[in-house]
Amino acid sequence: MPSKSRELSPKELEGFAAELEALRARTVADIGEQDAKYIRRVYSAVRYFEVAGRGLLFLGIFPPAFILGTLFLAISKILDNMELGHNVMHGQYDWMRDPKFNGKSFEWDIVATGDNWRKTHNYRHHTYTNIKGMDEDIGYGILRLFPEQRWRPGYLWQPIYSIIFAFLFQWGVAIQELRLGLWFSGRVSKEKMKKEFAPLGAKMKRQLIKDYVIFPLLAGPFFLPVMLGNLIANGLRNLWTFSVIFCGHFTADVEVFPKSVLKNETRGHWYVRQLRGSSNLKGSKVFHILTGNLSHQIEHHLFPDIPARRYAEMAVEVKEICQRYDQHYNTGSMLKQYSQVIWRIIRYAFPGGKPTFSVRRVAAES
Amino acid sequence: MKSSNPLKRMIKPLVSPAVYDFWVRKLVSNAAWETPLATVVERHVEARDSVTLLLRPNGHFDGFIPGQHVNVTIAVEGIRHTRSYSLTDVPRKDGLLSITVKRVGGGKVSTELCQHARVGDVLELGQAFGELTAPADYQGNWLFLAAGSGITPIISLIRSLSLSTLKQNVTLLYWARTRADLCFFQELRELSAREPRFHLHFVLTREHEMLPNDLQGRPSLALFEQLVSDMTEQRAYACGPAGFVDNVRELIAERVGFFASEAFTPVTTNVVDLGKVTVTLQRSQQQVEVATDKPLLAALEDVGVTPASGCRMGICNTCACEKTAGVSEDLLTGEMDTDVNSALRICVSAARSDLTLDL
Repeated sequence: MPSKSRELSPKELEGFAAELEALRARTVADIGEQDAKYIRRVYSAVRYFEVAGRGLLFLGIFPPAFILGTLFLAISKILDNMELGHNVMHGQYDWMRDPKFNGKSFEWDIVATGDNWRKTHNYRHHTYTNIKGMDEDIGYGILRLFPEQRWRPGYLWQPIYSIIFAFLFQWGVAIQELRLGLWFSGRVSKEKMKKEFAPLGAKMKRQLIKDYVIFPLLAGPFFLPVMLGNLIANGLRNLWTFSVIFCGHFTADVEVFPKSVLKNETRGHWYVRQLRGSSNLKGSKVFHILTGNLSHQIEHHLFPDIPARRYAEMAVEVKEICQRYDQHYNTGSMLKQYSQVIWRIIRYAFPGGKPTFSVRRVAAES
Repeated sequence: MKSSNPLKRMIKPLVSPAVYDFWVRKLVSNAAWETPLATVVERHVEARDSVTLLLRPNGHFDGFIPGQHVNVTIAVEGIRHTRSYSLTDVPRKDGLLSITVKRVGGGKVSTELCQHARVGDVLELGQAFGELTAPADYQGNWLFLAAGSGITPIISLIRSLSLSTLKQNVTLLYWARTRADLCFFQELRELSAREPRFHLHFVLTREHEMLPNDLQGRPSLALFEQLVSDMTEQRAYACGPAGFVDNVRELIAERVGFFASEAFTPVTTNVVDLGKVTVTLQRSQQQVEVATDKPLLAALEDVGVTPASGCRMGICNTCACEKTAGVSEDLLTGEMDTDVNSALRICVSAARSDLTLDL
């Protein structure tokens, strides 16, 4: 699909970057007590929802308590994963100098270790967004979502296994950094893999024991409802994070790039690539919070280290800047964006599709 | 460490220290897994712009020796700051601590503590540290020299000596701007009235209304000779701003039997503009000279140090490391950072003075 955005001249690229950086500076100047209070409130919400959810699940023999308990626990896990964990681990709240909200040491309630995530996500995905062969988030190594990816017969099954992947998303994220493909093809030794797996294995064990042994045991005779509730809550969180992330990068108008764009990439090019590689979701305030404000995926990719609660107000200006530079601002309802994602999953299970790599074409100065 | 406690060991797989702290603080405001915290239990104005806070620490505070200080950490406008304050009392049976804070113009922490700290607030403490302490078996005379808030460790030493009737001569010379700035005024006056061996002298540098016994002027040999008869037999302790301490040391360090001092370290603002600065790398225990005209990361790499790094443009946070001392400039905002910083992104910061990094 041809790009909906106009190619910018070097001068325009400079202006585009300068305007975004001015917006950034204005926002940074205002960051302070309000944002600190906000993230503490989010932390409190995670804790209260967790206690309410786990408490209700102990009474899980009664269906209403089971349903509500599972839902609360899922909300706690979603908030912990997205508005708290994801955003804190980006270093968005490092300016508070609070070890509890320090991006480098924060640990979250999913099987993926914070350390692995910081490598695959913060560094590779955010620096090399949507560059094929560099950003492993493109299809997470198992899905074909763009015609630029080479087709293999196994992809025929992806409409089915992507559903399983969605419900097990935290496991996919967890093993992403291991790059098991290299191991299977013999390019990484067993010893090295064992060493890299050790911290992840410990985290997985901790998570499994916590959710599926200790808390169920604490419930005594109600072991089963608690275990089931934990399983469903984890599954709901997985499905939700999968959905939000896929809507953020795999909608119809999102573009992918070849490695060659990195050659002499300017700040302006980098911003344009972030913009074209991301898509937003429209929704209510609660919806935005539950997505960790990744519903503002564009703003998140332009300004990954700004507290995410600021993206909504920044979006107004970003949109206006994009309009002036004829850059497509990819946004829509979850229904619209998600159906485009599902279309990609189904369409590119089959061979074909015309690769239209967004190679950097700098418009000639007029 | 208290985490050897069996209950804590048992719940560790279930609850992380941060989660434990969140819930336990709902019940007991200064309880924590392992962090020393203290609740403000009393507040009174000590002198102009000076406030004394009485603190109840939790069980993680390991105690102190008179003359030592603690790091106090509070959040101001959402940002945590740490400053050192002397513990002004002697160790008490009830375990309470007291600090006396003088408000410094433009000082975020001192202003917050002086004007906004209230009974019930909780502060984070470090463990006590500091070398300005007094040996218990010393039998000779004591000479204490304090300027401004330099009185705070000195008062602790004096209080520890005067717990029983003084057997030795104790002389205190206390410099302050005006009478209204004198801390522990009443207590010191009472002590000098009660104890013939306690010699108290206030030296006021900017007082308009001088009273008969008031002294004035900066430290001078003439002043010491006038007030202290047997200089060579004195064990002298000086505390105050760096200029004061340097001055006093020059005047008397060679003349007294023993001399110890502590100066307040002013915030480093004498920034090195060009050329190289020394970066101390704490973890790898080395010092390197680096350039200031490029980001710290690049400058460190130039001299063969390769810290973890990623995007090199300030977005991925991989290179963030703790800066424990020194001034750096955020190259994105142009802002100078003189504070301790728990997460300095060295790829977009440049050194503006000698630095200490946790690398």
